[in-house]
Amino acid sequence: MDPRIAIEVKNLGKVFGDIRALDEFQLQIRTGEIYGLIGPNGAGKTTALRILATLLLPTSGTATVFGLNVVDEAAEVRKHLTYLPEEAGAYKNLSGHEYLEFMTKFTIRNPAERKEVVEAAAKISGLGDRLRDKVKAYSKGMKRRLLVARTLMTRPKLAILDEPTSGLDVLHSVHVRGLIKEYVQRHGVTVLLSSHNMLEVEYLCDRVALINQGRIVAEGSPSELKTRYNAPNLEEAFAKVVSVA
Amino acid sequence: MLKGLFNIVVKEVKELVRDPKILLGMIIVPLIMFPLMGFAIQTSMEAVEETMGKLALGIMDQDHQSGVENLTAFLNALDVPTVIIEKPDLATAITYVAQSNLTGLIVVPPGFSQNLTETRKARLTVYTVFRGGGIAESSSSSVISSLLQTFEASLVTQKVSQAIPDDDPSVVLDPIEMSEQSIVGGIGVNVRPDVFFGVMMSQSTGMPIGIMMLLIFSMQLAATSVASEKEEKTLETLLTMPVSRFTILAGKLTGSILVAVVGAIAYIVGFSFYTSSLTGFMPNAGVDLAALGLAPTPLSLILLGVSLFLSLLSALALAISISIFAEDVRGAQALVGPLSIILVFPMIFTMFTNIYTLPLPLMILLLAIPFTHPMLAANAAFSGNYLTTLLGIAYVAGFTVIVLYIAARMFGTEKILTTKLKLRRFRLRRSN
Repeated sequence: MDPRIAIEVKNLGKVFGDIRALDEFQLQIRTGEIYGLIGPNGAGKTTALRILATLLLPTSGTATVFGLNVVDEAAEVRKHLTYLPEEAGAYKNLSGHEYLEFMTKFTIRNPAERKEVVEAAAKISGLGDRLRDKVKAYSKGMKRRLLVARTLMTRPKLAILDEPTSGLDVLHSVHVRGLIKEYVQRHGVTVLLSSHNMLEVEYLCDRVALINQGRIVAEGSPSELKTRYNAPNLEEAFAKVVSVA
Repeated sequence: MLKGLFNIVVKEVKELVRDPKILLGMIIVPLIMFPLMGFAIQTSMEAVEETMGKLALGIMDQDHQSGVENLTAFLNALDVPTVIIEKPDLATAITYVAQSNLTGLIVVPPGFSQNLTETRKARLTVYTVFRGGGIAESSSSSVISSLLQTFEASLVTQKVSQAIPDDDPSVVLDPIEMSEQSIVGGIGVNVRPDVFFGVMMSQSTGMPIGIMMLLIFSMQLAATSVASEKEEKTLETLLTMPVSRFTILAGKLTGSILVAVVGAIAYIVGFSFYTSSLTGFMPNAGVDLAALGLAPTPLSLILLGVSLFLSLLSALALAISISIFAEDVRGAQALVGPLSIILVFPMIFTMFTNIYTLPLPLMILLLAIPFTHPMLAANAAFSGNYLTTLLGIAYVAGFTVIVLYIAARMFGTEKILTTKLKLRRFRLRRSN
């Protein structure tokens, strides 16, 4: 196992009935980098993230996280990652604080350490005293901030974020992006994220993969991709790549 | 293997108990609804008793002979006030009685006393006033009838003693004295069969109802527990936690059982209050089943507990396996709801009959339903038939293992996430 490689995906395929969601999908993500997947709806981004998060089984190919196979060593893989689904929710009848406590107990047994982690999550979320309220009283934005805090609070080796700023207004999106970037730099977390928001991807990601119809059609840093496709921004680069493909 | 179980159980219990629908429907409503029903019935019965105490009758005397005086004296001796209605015709008398506080009107036609003296049929017409309906008024007519029957019996006794002055008229009229007793568990006991049957029924009907309610509550809770994870979009996150899928399943089963037990206790407490409100008005035969050797033994209670626990597990696993196909709580409850039928069916049969006396196909059908067995075990606890209970436990254990395996398989694979997707596609295809 190469400690510099966080994720390695080879010839990954996933078929749902007669729909091929992923086809010969290849990926290599370095430890400590923020890697973005960009693509239109139905391109296979979420399927790829779900396979890496051990939720779905690939139909073909292999995927490893820190050298661990996501199919055969799923239980071990789960110890190293946290996953934020695009449409994630939190338990509506628990308070925000109880929710964070509940999630922390799976990974941290020491109560003192757990308390520290929950306090850190409270800071990340910026929810303050509202953490005492039940989640059902939260706005969409508050819920998303709680979930982002939950994903980052335990300092996982790998955070998989599916549309991390989904449903957030501009101000909250900026806040969440800022804290992801800061958290990764400070704690060396590897991040794999997907997003429709090209600005977000450009701001956050060290490298980006453009996906279309279950395949990666281009890969590189945001500046490399813009130069390669002679485009002023990632959005146009992506449009050019998809039209060529 | 079950690391993290306690964490999940605590979360499940909090989520379920704090859900207003569950709290209201399963705990608060039975604790309030049944006692309220009991209170209403108790109050009504007290009203009936009070009405009986206030019974007063009008008598329209068209005979003007001694027979009417005897009737009036008899009723007054029983503390029933009487008023002689002196009106020119029946219609006016009826209007008067209806507007008064009288309970009824007895019309004594001409020739009543003479007919009695000459041993011919003497007729009386009784009108009972109905003012607003209800049990109290329907009871009035039967009370008036029984008063007149007692009067009739006193006339017969009089006639008999005149005809056979040397004999005791009560012996002449009722020459045989029967002492009805029962044989229970091969031993003769000094309790009337109908009284014994009533006591046994009150003991054995509560248990199947309680078991059925416990199983229905648990199934609904387990289905809600899984479906709400899907509805609230928390399932994916939970499944990526470093905890085994079996632990998540076990946590959901345990949480549902705990809340269902509280719900069933609330139901039983409320229902007991309700039934005690009813039985409080029935004559207490003072039958002590324990003294007759018919109280459950510790062994039979343990076997009943095992049978019930296994049934509970299989019911929950079944509910979870089915609710995986639902997208939301409403869908899950709609899918699990029909399962209640296979609980009500054995409950009714075990309450009202010995299922081993039923036609063979029906008996096999009932025994094939695993939830019949804890109800049979509850009945067997009184009769001490351990073999039936043990065979039932073996059958339910086998069924539980199979259903738990299916639930664990469903929970352990991606089906728990993708089944919904397949259903969605199916719907899309249907709509196209």
